[in-house]
Amino acid sequence: MKILVAVKRVADPNVKVRALADGSGVDLANVKMTMNPFDEIAVEEAVRLKEAGRANEIVVVSIGPEKSAETLRTALAMGADRGLLVRTEATVEPLAVAKILKAVAEAEKPDVIITGKQAIDDDANQTGQMLSALLGWGQGTFASKLVVGDKAIEVTREIDGGLQTVSLALPALVTADLRLNEPRYASLPNIMKAKKKPIDERTPADYGVAVEPRLTVVRVHEPATRKAGIKVGSVGELVERLRMEAGVL
Amino acid sequence: MIHADDGILSQEQRLMRDSCRSFVDDVVTPFIRSNWQREWDMSPGERLPGSILEGAEAIGIRTLGVPEEFGGIDLDRETEVRTFALIAEEIARGDSGLADKLVQNWKVSIVIRQFAAKHLQEKWFPRLLEDPKFLLAHCLTEPRGASDRWLPYNVPEASMHTRAVLDGDHWVINGRKQFISNGFDASLYVVYANTDPSVGMLQGTSSFLVPRETPGLTVTKCNETMGCRFMNNGELVFEDCRVPADHLLVKSTALASAGQYFRAGKIIQAAKNLGVGVACFERTADYVQNYVQGGRILIKHQAVALRLADMATRIEAVRSLVERASKAVDEAHPDADILCNMAKVYASEEIMKVATHALELHGGNGAMLEFGIEKLFRDAAIFLHMDATVDVSRMKIIKNMFPATAGKYAGPET
Ligand SMILES: Cc1cc2nc3c(=O)[nH]c(=O)nc-3n(C[C@H](O)[C@H](O)[C@H](O)COP(=O)(O)OP(=O)(O)OC[C@H]3O[C@@H](n4cnc5c(N)ncnc54)[C@H](O)[C@@H]3O)c2cc1C
Ligand SMILES: Cc1cc2nc3c(=O)[nH]c(=O)nc-3n(C[C@H](O)[C@H](O)[C@H](O)COP(=O)(O)OP(=O)(O)OC[C@H]3O[C@@H](n4cnc5c(N)ncnc54)[C@H](O)[C@@H]3O)c2cc1C
Repeated sequence: MKILVAVKRVADPNVKVRALADGSGVDLANVKMTMNPFDEIAVEEAVRLKEAGRANEIVVVSIGPEKSAETLRTALAMGADRGLLVRTEATVEPLAVAKILKAVAEAEKPDVIITGKQAIDDDANQTGQMLSALLGWGQGTFASKLVVGDKAIEVTREIDGGLQTVSLALPALVTADLRLNEPRYASLPNIMKAKKKPIDERTPADYGVAVEPRLTVVRVHEPATRKAGIKVGSVGELVERLRMEAGVL
Repeated sequence: MIHADDGILSQEQRLMRDSCRSFVDDVVTPFIRSNWQREWDMSPGERLPGSILEGAEAIGIRTLGVPEEFGGIDLDRETEVRTFALIAEEIARGDSGLADKLVQNWKVSIVIRQFAAKHLQEKWFPRLLEDPKFLLAHCLTEPRGASDRWLPYNVPEASMHTRAVLDGDHWVINGRKQFISNGFDASLYVVYANTDPSVGMLQGTSSFLVPRETPGLTVTKCNETMGCRFMNNGELVFEDCRVPADHLLVKSTALASAGQYFRAGKIIQAAKNLGVGVACFERTADYVQNYVQGGRILIKHQAVALRLADMATRIEAVRSLVERASKAVDEAHPDADILCNMAKVYASEEIMKVATHALELHGGNGAMLEFGIEKLFRDAAIFLHMDATVDVSRMKIIKNMFPATAGKYAGPET
């Protein structure tokens, strides 16, 4: 079984990003970048399937600037076998990403595609769904558990109010949720070994996909700063203020 | 902190550093922050939970320096010391005792790979790799003092007191070693001993590989140290301790040949120091942006901001020197000896100042054990004395620069 995993380079979720002064986007200059956390989970799941003997090849693909190769290298160090960088400096919207991934899937013919449920930069939560629709494959989104059989894959999904289990005929697409697994750290020996694993490079044009944005970003601004809280002297005062000032009682 | 150095690192170096940083952020720091009492557990073997060492094992930071042919990591040798520095800094940012523990394995592995007979490497490297608790130690210092040896004063009366004598096909070692990093819990020791009392130490010191179980070797105690307490420093006694002749690593010129170990050691020492400094800065920057006096967060008071700037500037100055010195060591530059001593001594004094600022800016909290700032201060203080004292390091720099005139042996008092 062959697994294709899509990984995106995003701003490290631990750093506080700022909006650009002109409101055109987020200031990413000198910001530490990392693999989208949900994609790490996707890579980890693929690596575990390989370790369990369920998969024999893991291909990781990233669409983005040159530095995305570093994100691919991390995935290779975690245990993926080879990488593919579809290089572009442009901002690529989910639909274009899905179209590129569709073309990659047609060339690579994986049995399963795993993506993160969303990227933590734009939080679009669209790529996996669009890709499965374009491919005409079954989709199991928000996966918290995978059981891979020979012809089908059972996906436990985290949905409002509980868990749902769906069975998908292969090939199929899965998007990884937080509780699917806890991804490993790339170990130092594996980072050195990953140096020798191949990363191919293409461009969106190679797949005939136009990446020009269809959406217009009107304005990016920071959340309003919260007003400082106050200490109240008694329960009576608390109730009073909740009623009179906050108007919630 | 700022990341201006990123560009000059290789992709692998950056990834290794980032992996190590994540491990420290997710595992080491939370443990240290919420278990401040563990440092003071008087059963040294119990202090550091196995899970931390297992985590270190999983990311592969216990066994750097082991050659690839024995299952070790294939670090690029041309930048190996720089890589050591990067990783040591990250670990020490979480806990400098943990860093001490692990880096000792890297440093001693360099000695073993360079000097041990092939069959001994084939025997010991796999054991080191297999056992997550396997530690190495490097035994030079004796109760008679270490400074004469660092300088070194090459006259017979300044030599080590620990003696090794060849008896048939065994070397027989007698003496004591003190202040040895990992001395308490190492499985394999590299031991230096006098093998020719008629000459100076540069011609009369030999080194040996001594397994812990060797009869005649007794680990007498764990030294309770002021800082770096998750590394178990120990004392050893050798009483007619017999090691097979092939366990001799370097005959006669062991001190002179250990240069690669010493140079890498000074860089790693400075880098661990740097990690402590970065931790001081990060903790303090966070504190002064949250804690209020005079109606506003501390950082808004200019006196506080200026101290913070001073901390950051010293850290970056240390970083620059560590970078330059590690490059010189990697390139075996003729000035490498001078530069690595400079980096070591400068880091120890500057980071001590950084830690002092951290203590001050935390007010009373800085003095409280549960806050963890005084720990950074203690950890920083110990670096002044490890791997040569401040003054002896300075004398070495000048001896190196002016060998004909500076640092002559004073001779016994008459
Ligand atoms: C935490 C820790 C870990 C250590 N780990 C190891 C280890 O793994 N292996 C190992 O072999 N050793 C180890 N050491 C020992 C360390 O290298 C020595 O403690 C250090 O070099 C100082 O030597 P000393 O303690 O004998 O002090 P001394 O040499 O007695 O120095 C005392 C004072 O005299 C000064 N002094 C000495 N000679 C001169 C001189 N000629 N001119 C002017 N001033 C002088 C010194 O600067 C110092 O201020 C460790 C020490 C510590 C604290
Ligand atoms: C061992 C010990 C014993 C103590 N015993 C007692 C006791 O018996 N009784 C008691 O009441 N208290 C006691 N204290 C408390 C002690 O007086 C305070 O910890 C100390 O005055 C510092 O105050 P703080 O901890 O609130 O620090 P902070 O006031 O928060 O100071 C933090 C940092 O901000 C700086 N700073 C604060 N305000 C300004 C400003 N306006 N401009 C510029 N810089 C500023 C400070 O210089 C410091 O560097 C004790 C403290 C210790 C450590």
